[in-house]
Amino acid sequence: MAVTTFEILDTTKDVTTTRTLLHESIPLTGTIVSGTYGAFRSEGNIKNYTHGQFQSVYDYPYLSSSANHIFDIAIGYDESSTLSGTTNTTQQAKKINMYNQFSQVLLGYTGSNNDAKKFELDLTLDATDGFVMKEAVFVTLSRLITKDQIKKGSVSVTLGTGSWADPFSDNAGRGRKTLTDASASDTGGTANTLGGDYGLLYELGAPNLVRGLVFYQAGILALSTSSWTAPSAGSTKGETGLEFQRYDTDASSKKTVAQVFTGSAITGACDTIRHRIQNISFNNTTEINSTIYFCRVPHNTYNYSSNPTYLSSSTIRVKSVNTDTPVSYITTIGLYSSSNELLAVAKLSEPLKKDPNNELTLRVRLDY
Amino acid sequence: MAFLDNSGDIILDAVLTEAGRRKMAQGNFEIDRFALGDDEIDYSLYNKNHASGSAYYDLELLQTPVFEAFTQINAGINYGLLPFENTDLLYLPVAKVNELAGTTSLLSNIARQGPLFYVIDTSGDTGALNRISKKLNDNSPVVQFLEGTTDGLNFILIEAGLDTGTDQTPNGTKADRDNYLVANNLIDTSFSVYYDNRFFGTVRGPARASAFTNAGASDGFQGNIYLKRSKPISNAGLGIENYSAASISAISNEIYWNSSETDQDFSVINGPRSVVTAVALTVKTGLSAEYSLYGRTSQTLFNATVDYIDTTVYVVGNRSQAQVQLPIRIIKLS
Repeated sequence: MAVTTFEILDTTKDVTTTRTLLHESIPLTGTIVSGTYGAFRSEGNIKNYTHGQFQSVYDYPYLSSSANHIFDIAIGYDESSTLSGTTNTTQQAKKINMYNQFSQVLLGYTGSNNDAKKFELDLTLDATDGFVMKEAVFVTLSRLITKDQIKKGSVSVTLGTGSWADPFSDNAGRGRKTLTDASASDTGGTANTLGGDYGLLYELGAPNLVRGLVFYQAGILALSTSSWTAPSAGSTKGETGLEFQRYDTDASSKKTVAQVFTGSAITGACDTIRHRIQNISFNNTTEINSTIYFCRVPHNTYNYSSNPTYLSSSTIRVKSVNTDTPVSYITTIGLYSSSNELLAVAKLSEPLKKDPNNELTLRVRLDY
Repeated sequence: MAFLDNSGDIILDAVLTEAGRRKMAQGNFEIDRFALGDDEIDYSLYNKNHASGSAYYDLELLQTPVFEAFTQINAGINYGLLPFENTDLLYLPVAKVNELAGTTSLLSNIARQGPLFYVIDTSGDTGALNRISKKLNDNSPVVQFLEGTTDGLNFILIEAGLDTGTDQTPNGTKADRDNYLVANNLIDTSFSVYYDNRFFGTVRGPARASAFTNAGASDGFQGNIYLKRSKPISNAGLGIENYSAASISAISNEIYWNSSETDQDFSVINGPRSVVTAVALTVKTGLSAEYSLYGRTSQTLFNATVDYIDTTVYVVGNRSQAQVQLPIRIIKLS
């Protein structure tokens, strides 16, 4: 039924806006990424496409309606990479296209020829030799989990750099590398490009070794293959010659990172990378814009109710004599347009006593 | 729709209604006012005799669980809090349907509920009106119906006032009317009628020339109700989908207690009376598929085969907020 008694809001005093950043911790463990929902390379939560350009990872077998898309994996390299044009270059065009697509969207173009910029493992994008990342693994995180953006300084990626059989701690002394963007924050440690802010993923314990990039607004990780080719900080045992992929016991099936990038299809390379992801974690950010309505209830009004139970034989139940204090109990606040349309409803978790001895300000926040 | 967690701090759970989301999509979402409600509260649980004293009177009320907010506009606030500033009020008006039969020409036009108010759909066919009205008149007891036309004579009579009871204070004298109603500005000047616009076209209410008194000979009834078309209320936030509103006049209810106690012959309010109003509904012409969509068809009633639609009409006083809900059955011969 309609309400006919309203209190007008003064938009200059009773309405204000605010912005809140909400963060959620998102841990993506390697068990979801590989091996939980079936045998490796045929898991039900891994979706491959006939175009073969990337692979999707779900948190549950993707044929189920309750499955959520978590992220995609792709690999690519620039056409100036040493991998380009080598023999045994499976899907080379697609791999170059993938690299270019990410770079043109995230970094943009440069020069009079509008060449797509190349990813660099620093914050300058000045094409300095030694920092250009010509081969990359791209992990594109779903908006479902990144929400508005990844929180700067919260990213941690742990990759297995050991043997194929024991990627996270093999007895050759290789273990795992944890990459973090700990140097990034809202006040520094990032650079801004066409694709938004990006930060550097340093190897944990090695402040000078950058192993990848994180694009915060786009929710994309661009990981360098150096995680699997360069030695860990302080380690005497390098990853040179790492058996990056070895699907069976046949020694001839052993492949290095470069061999996987050139000799495997993108889908196969993604399988291998999934096998070597132990953990990805970050905090996402949801930007909540709110309008706050201060519903001021004066002391001398709204102390009576039109609730049918309020009266018994026309007598107000909460009073015995006319000098008793009238009282009502608020449970609901309705917010209306100027034409009396109910636009929003707010409910109190418990009734709020209203009598002439108190004046209330009910703060109703609507989030958008 | 669950209850809100009331084990800790008081929280507010707010949602946009369907209308709010539609306005948001249209780009004209603008909140301008607010209202307060207490629909969950059962004030009969207020225990003025609690052994532990006045601090415990409202113990049960304060423990009332509150539902989550929901998005349907018709479930927002059904009964709002009232802004009366006078803290001395002990009585508030109620509205009641007057179904008293009488011998005067006025009272013979009062529609009576049994248990519904019947409104005849003739779709402009006078013959049909005659045929079905005969069935209703032949029924035992006679069903006093509304004609459903723009010129029908019958109406539903609604009275408002303080229904305090026989031999109670205040009583139905003019002095108590002045002291308890007029002095406290509790006399309604109009009523809002909320009706389903899929079934009803117009509403008629009393013209200003109408009167309702027992100032006739031997304290007998004196007065008449003249019906006129009501004014639509254009910006009413009705709270119910498909409902429209119209404003009808309130006529001073001057039935007073007197030594011959004729007041109870004409009035259902037992105490100071404030106003009276009348509602006559006009059925939309051409209702056909509506009977199978929203009602029932080929039913046997009053020894006839009929189609009918049940609906509710709400009548609310503009000052007192006293309201009455009228269960209506629109009926036609199949």
